[in-house]
Amino acid sequence: MSSVKLRGVRKAYGAHEVIKGVDLDVPSKQFVVFVGPSGCGKSTLLRMIAGLEHITAGDLEIGGERMNDVDPSKRGIAMVFQTYALYPHMTVRENMGFALRFAGVAKDQIARQVGDAARVLALEPLLDRYPKQLSGGQRQRVAIGRAIVRNPQVFLFDEPLSNLDAELRVHMRIEIARLHKELQTTIIYVTHDQVEAMTLADTIVVLRDGIIEQVGSPLDLYDDPANQFVAGFIGSPKMNFLAGTIVEKAANGVTVELTNHKGTRLTLPVSGGAMGEAVALGVRAEHFGEPGAGDSDISLRVDVAEHLGSTSYVYANAGGEALVIEREESRHEIGVDQISVSIAAAQAYLFDSAGKRIR
Amino acid sequence: MPQARLDRREHITGWAFIAPALILLGLFMIYPIVWSLWMSFQVGKGMNLSFGGLANIERLTKDAVFQRALGNTFIFFIVQVPIMIGLALLFAVALNDSTLRFRGLFRTAIFLPCVTSLIAYSTLFKSMFATNGVVKNALMTLHLTDGPIPWLTDPFWAKILIIIAITWRWTGYNMIFYLAALQNIDRSIYEAARIDGVPAWARFRYLTIPMLKPVILFTTVISTIGTLQLFDEVQNITQGGPSDATLTLSLYIYNLTFKFMPSFGYSATVSWVIVVLVGILSFIQFLIARDRRSA
Repeated sequence: MSSVKLRGVRKAYGAHEVIKGVDLDVPSKQFVVFVGPSGCGKSTLLRMIAGLEHITAGDLEIGGERMNDVDPSKRGIAMVFQTYALYPHMTVRENMGFALRFAGVAKDQIARQVGDAARVLALEPLLDRYPKQLSGGQRQRVAIGRAIVRNPQVFLFDEPLSNLDAELRVHMRIEIARLHKELQTTIIYVTHDQVEAMTLADTIVVLRDGIIEQVGSPLDLYDDPANQFVAGFIGSPKMNFLAGTIVEKAANGVTVELTNHKGTRLTLPVSGGAMGEAVALGVRAEHFGEPGAGDSDISLRVDVAEHLGSTSYVYANAGGEALVIEREESRHEIGVDQISVSIAAAQAYLFDSAGKRIR
Repeated sequence: MPQARLDRREHITGWAFIAPALILLGLFMIYPIVWSLWMSFQVGKGMNLSFGGLANIERLTKDAVFQRALGNTFIFFIVQVPIMIGLALLFAVALNDSTLRFRGLFRTAIFLPCVTSLIAYSTLFKSMFATNGVVKNALMTLHLTDGPIPWLTDPFWAKILIIIAITWRWTGYNMIFYLAALQNIDRSIYEAARIDGVPAWARFRYLTIPMLKPVILFTTVISTIGTLQLFDEVQNITQGGPSDATLTLSLYIYNLTFKFMPSFGYSATVSWVIVVLVGILSFIQFLIARDRRSA
């Protein structure tokens, strides 16, 4: 299994730069997920690793070898596409064995390798079917099978679950996680879905506008986001941001007054920031507490409440600032149009006006 | 209103909508087709016709000129259609490559011949390939030939000239179908093949051609029909000559009807020969291209 190393990697189409200098180490056997909003360059970056896009500047190493100008087929990679990219006129068996024919693999060896991959993916009953006779999830499994038979050093997945319905997506997500455990290969996986990233990744790489915003384990990113973008992107529902101003700086921390909740102050255990600076206070939906349980209380007008049984999501606002609050045991609140919640300073984050975390 | 009456009214409305088209089709297509079938059993010259049963079919078997025309038509079909289909495929694949510069220009240039007038281009070809035409001058300047090639006077070269002409005229037309089909193929299929190390020739042979099979079949069938009906080029470039070397079935029908003493019955019979040939050849092509999978 191979590691992947990117150094100062850039991609430009004419004057338009889409990847603006990426440095990244993907250790061997790791499951790394590139995540970011559409247009952030995550797919382009993956395609550059695959060799489908030329690297404008910088170095790409796979298994310690510089691969910038190496043909895609000689990089030791295999790729699974969003559209599956199955050969429509070939059976599952032929789809999986097709590339091996050109690698000089003997016929009985091809049959054995295809058989092994089919067993791993539970594709054996489908081997003689055509792609059009398969469901979306089955097609995706065939696409993965076609990648497996080549015994690649690195697997590349480009939004593989985007074309599946919600239920199947969850199912396939678990399949892919199981597969990684079994095969122990390096995987680079691109998605715009942060839930997929959180559940699958050893390491998440958050990208925006062609640069890496943060690299870390899912819980690192969740618990300790480097900036407002990552804080808002990782976690569902999204982190809430309350506008505020720094009104006091002391040894024990920084005190913020919330703009839309006059008189509500909160002292956070951080040392950055400047007096009078406009800041955003980040609070996750699940971190709002019962009134009086935290450090400060705020009261809000309820717009909509979604009751899901075990939890509820309350969409509320104050002065036009919309917030989402996750509540447990909230059945008694049905029909209520005013609520009070508390914020705990220890579970809140502070960001400056440029979106950088104040620590 | 009761359901049955409502249904009937809807039926009437539906038929009324398609009636104009049906009447015109019947009048100008179905009627002539049926009438020509009837005619093919008539013998005699000019308006002096009588029912002759299978006499016309018997005449076909003894008619050396008809057999010559049939042979020529087949030579055009067997030689020209594969060349044109192959060329159109190659052009389409080349022009589908997004890295190729001036793609639009090339596409237009290759497609343009098929919107030119048949008469105009035939006349132009005739003058270009004349004994002292630009083609002769060009070939001699490039030292590719020692003397003029007898394009219009030698039976072999006349056939070659006709093949060059129709290939020039129709390749772009077929290419457009392939280009359209190629653009419908998911690009990731080729990317997946590239990553998997499938060489370029194999991507063409084992991916492109099978995926274009329905379109290839379609263009082969329409090209077959077109070649069996070949008329304008031979009429305008060679008049079927020299010594009937480029005489086609269609031109023979024209000659039987309008050039010689009109023999409507017999020319209708020859027309039906084309119909039967198109039917047989299309059937064979469908048989060859049939999806081997039963699903």
